[in-house]
Amino acid sequence: MGLPIPAGLKQEWAALETRRQFLGRSGKVLGWAAAATLLGSRGLTGDAHATDSTGRQSSQDELRMPQFAPKAKRAIYLFMSGGPPQMDLLDYKPNLAALYDKDIPDSVRGSQQLTGMTAGQARFPIAPSHWAFQRYGQSETWVSDLLPNTARMVDELTIIKSTNTEAINHEPAIMLMNTGNMNAGKPCLGAWLAYGLGSMNDNLPTFMVLQTKTNPKENNQPVSSRLWSSGFLSSEYAGVGLRSGGDPVLFLSDPDGVDREVRRKMLDAVEQINLQTLAEMGDPETNARIAQYEMAFRMQASVPELTDLSKEPQSTWDLYGPDAKEPGTFAYNCLLARRMAERGVRFTQIYKRGWDVHADVTGLLPVLCQEVDRACYALVTDLKRRGLLDDTLVVWAGEFGRTVYSQGGLSKENYGRDHHPRCYTTWMAGGGVRRGITYGETDDYSYNVVKDPVTVRDFNATILHCLGIDHNKLTYKFQGLDQKLTGPVPANIVPGLLA
Amino acid sequence: MKFRDVAAFEARMLPDSRRTRVLWSVSLALNISLLLLPFIFKFDGKPHADWQQFLGRFHPLAVHLPIGLLVLLPILEVMGGSRHSLREAAEFVLGLCFACCLGAAALGYLLAFGSGDAGAGVTRHMWGGIALTFCVLFCVLARRAWLAGDAPWVYPGLLASVLVLLTWTADQGGALTHGSNYLTQYMPASIKRLTGLGAAGRAPSAGSFYVRHIDTVFETNCVACHGEGKVKGGLRLDSYDALMKGGKDGAVIVAGQPDKSLLVVRVTLPTDHKQFMPAEGKPPLRPEEINWLKAWIEQGASPTATQLAGVFIREEMPDLPLQPVGDYSAFMDDIHRMAEGQGAKLVSVSSKPADGLILNTVDVAASFGDTQLAQFNKYAPFIVEAELGRAAVTDASFATLSRFTHLRSLHLEGTAVTGDGLEKLASLSQLSYINLSSTRVTKAAAAQLDSLKSLRHVYLYNTPAQPESAGNLVQPVARNTP
Repeated sequence: MGLPIPAGLKQEWAALETRRQFLGRSGKVLGWAAAATLLGSRGLTGDAHATDSTGRQSSQDELRMPQFAPKAKRAIYLFMSGGPPQMDLLDYKPNLAALYDKDIPDSVRGSQQLTGMTAGQARFPIAPSHWAFQRYGQSETWVSDLLPNTARMVDELTIIKSTNTEAINHEPAIMLMNTGNMNAGKPCLGAWLAYGLGSMNDNLPTFMVLQTKTNPKENNQPVSSRLWSSGFLSSEYAGVGLRSGGDPVLFLSDPDGVDREVRRKMLDAVEQINLQTLAEMGDPETNARIAQYEMAFRMQASVPELTDLSKEPQSTWDLYGPDAKEPGTFAYNCLLARRMAERGVRFTQIYKRGWDVHADVTGLLPVLCQEVDRACYALVTDLKRRGLLDDTLVVWAGEFGRTVYSQGGLSKENYGRDHHPRCYTTWMAGGGVRRGITYGETDDYSYNVVKDPVTVRDFNATILHCLGIDHNKLTYKFQGLDQKLTGPVPANIVPGLLA
Repeated sequence: MKFRDVAAFEARMLPDSRRTRVLWSVSLALNISLLLLPFIFKFDGKPHADWQQFLGRFHPLAVHLPIGLLVLLPILEVMGGSRHSLREAAEFVLGLCFACCLGAAALGYLLAFGSGDAGAGVTRHMWGGIALTFCVLFCVLARRAWLAGDAPWVYPGLLASVLVLLTWTADQGGALTHGSNYLTQYMPASIKRLTGLGAAGRAPSAGSFYVRHIDTVFETNCVACHGEGKVKGGLRLDSYDALMKGGKDGAVIVAGQPDKSLLVVRVTLPTDHKQFMPAEGKPPLRPEEINWLKAWIEQGASPTATQLAGVFIREEMPDLPLQPVGDYSAFMDDIHRMAEGQGAKLVSVSSKPADGLILNTVDVAASFGDTQLAQFNKYAPFIVEAELGRAAVTDASFATLSRFTHLRSLHLEGTAVTGDGLEKLASLSQLSYINLSSTRVTKAAAAQLDSLKSLRHVYLYNTPAQPESAGNLVQPVARNTP
């Protein structure tokens, strides 16, 4: 008769149902007394999930700190949405020049299923990179001429050439990178960090998201708030986005005639009403809402200070360049990310769209790299000179790589590249990772990983490790599972990446 | 002991008793033969019979019994002034002491001879041990005279010198087993300066590849057994000349041929191989260290070359190991209260309490001044990180901070400090990170940081002490065209 349901799960359901139904029916009569008794103090402070009916989940107070002394206290994730072409940037393949317009051998491509965009192509002609590569730094790392500034800091970077994913299309791939699952609904890395490590500054969100203004010349794939969702975790762990134009947070300043005190009184009244709702419904999300009102109140003071760049010294502008003065650019966001790191924001994620170069690679890449290259260098250098790189982890990654063969027509002047999940290049820098190394190798066509593969799960497990978290222990009970960022399939920390 | 027994015991030990005379001559004979041992069976740096090593390895165990007894002895004598029975017991303890000394010294000799140890340290330790047995024997004689009232200062003087000799010999022995910097490695910097011991030097930034890397590998992994103190297999690795000279099996380095160099062969054997080095379960060399060794030999094993092709080593001082802080469970209520409220907080580094606490002031930085910091005095030894960036603290806080004995990292960026009084932090033996960016710290003030020997990371960006830093960092590196 059906699937066997574990006794523990049944108990959990029963407890939930009783709590909700009972409070829903008799809440008005019993009111606070009932809520206090049934939920306990933890329920009233929004941690109702922390101790379930079976008492298996450890208390959240214990979770809100690293499990071991971490190398990095915070992280900045530069997300290159669309899939940067690895063989045009950091995965140098000198042999390709001789193979121009030759078909990629079947043995390399194997039985791989391609996207609908190139599956119908009669030929898969090899498109060597249009740009020359040079070796830089003591680590003698090959870097494309597209990235002259990244080249200057290669000795700070941990370059991973063997990152690989299972998804070949944007939405599943970008969900997988961010939440560890191709389907929407799971909490993202930043939400897990906020949940597991807690805040370092009560006046700013623990997890902030900065979107870069889109450049109409580029092929921009959509980026949705699902990517910084808290999933089944309390919504107070979700990323808080700053707008890329105009006021960074809408309606942040009080309207005329409303001063701080009036605002405070209003919030106190709203809180009372919310607490009544909580007593009636027992929904922990009500608590999250109360917390968010309070955060918004404090952000009224902290965000203007955060975004006020008037006191930045001239050396900042020399480093980041003129773009950084214009809100919403990638350079501006990088500067803001540094300011957030200084102010104790645990996790900042910057989205840069436009890397989906199916066609016109030679037209688009110079534009993209000009936006990104100097700002990345400026961010790492700025963190380093200000003493923040020691305990800040910087991550640069997209959701997948691109094919070595051309999508559409190949000419000496131009080519296109399709999605490629089997290998792509990412980098990290700062707290916890080994500087000046290149990890993993791809074959001569930058098509398959031949040494030291790093899966998305391993990638995320390693990031968590740098921040003092064992990916197997940061769990949350939901749908009868101990859910975790790296999912149910075993994930491994990559020791070769660690300092 | 009943009085009759004591009387009988004393009677037995009287010099004119025949039994005592025999005991005396046997003791003296044994002691002299111990003295002659090193002249008859000379240390030749070669291992000998297994049974010798088997017995010899009990030396580190057996040696602690006479040490304990020798420390007990003066206590018995002093206390014996008021409690007579203790002084009577001292006679027996002294005798037992001699017997144990003799046994431990013999085992020690077996250990060194059997395992083929040699070296100045081994020799010093050996002579210390032998001298000690003689001194203890003389103590037995002198004590008798002392009890009789003759020569009242000889026995106490002799006993005192025995203790000094014991300390020296034990220190020599300790250096053999644990390495010569074992005691001073974690000595607080202030004591180090006071005593001039174990100077915590920073990593040499200049010098040849051999000096910077190869010698360092030997120093940390090999020199405890192949150095001045102990010379296993006749091989010393503490200088370039000694390294190239090799050991009893000949040269260990064949320039240009890493695979034929015995040293490389021995460190790359399977770890359970009998001849694997480092021996006796010590941690193997790290793979990159072996690579450096191979590359260095491959490229001529030069003592002067500064760079090797294909080898890129980041010159960094390793971070100091974390030192556990004490027990602060009594303050947990305070800490929780701070966490609930708005204001400065003490946050755990990790879920392991011994990792310590972080003082976090970012929420209230503008109002967190010297007086507020002083209120954290009572938590001082438990705070490992002080995050005072952009806080209202001034130079007056250095006095408070100097009491944060376990402080590892100190953030003062964007504060009003000028660096006056930085030298007060010199007593912080674990302070490895200091951030003074965007302050008014001058070059002269920053010079005080030189006295902080454990510092690894110093940040002076955007200060009068380092106005040019930004320019230095954006210099393009040399390019190599493909």
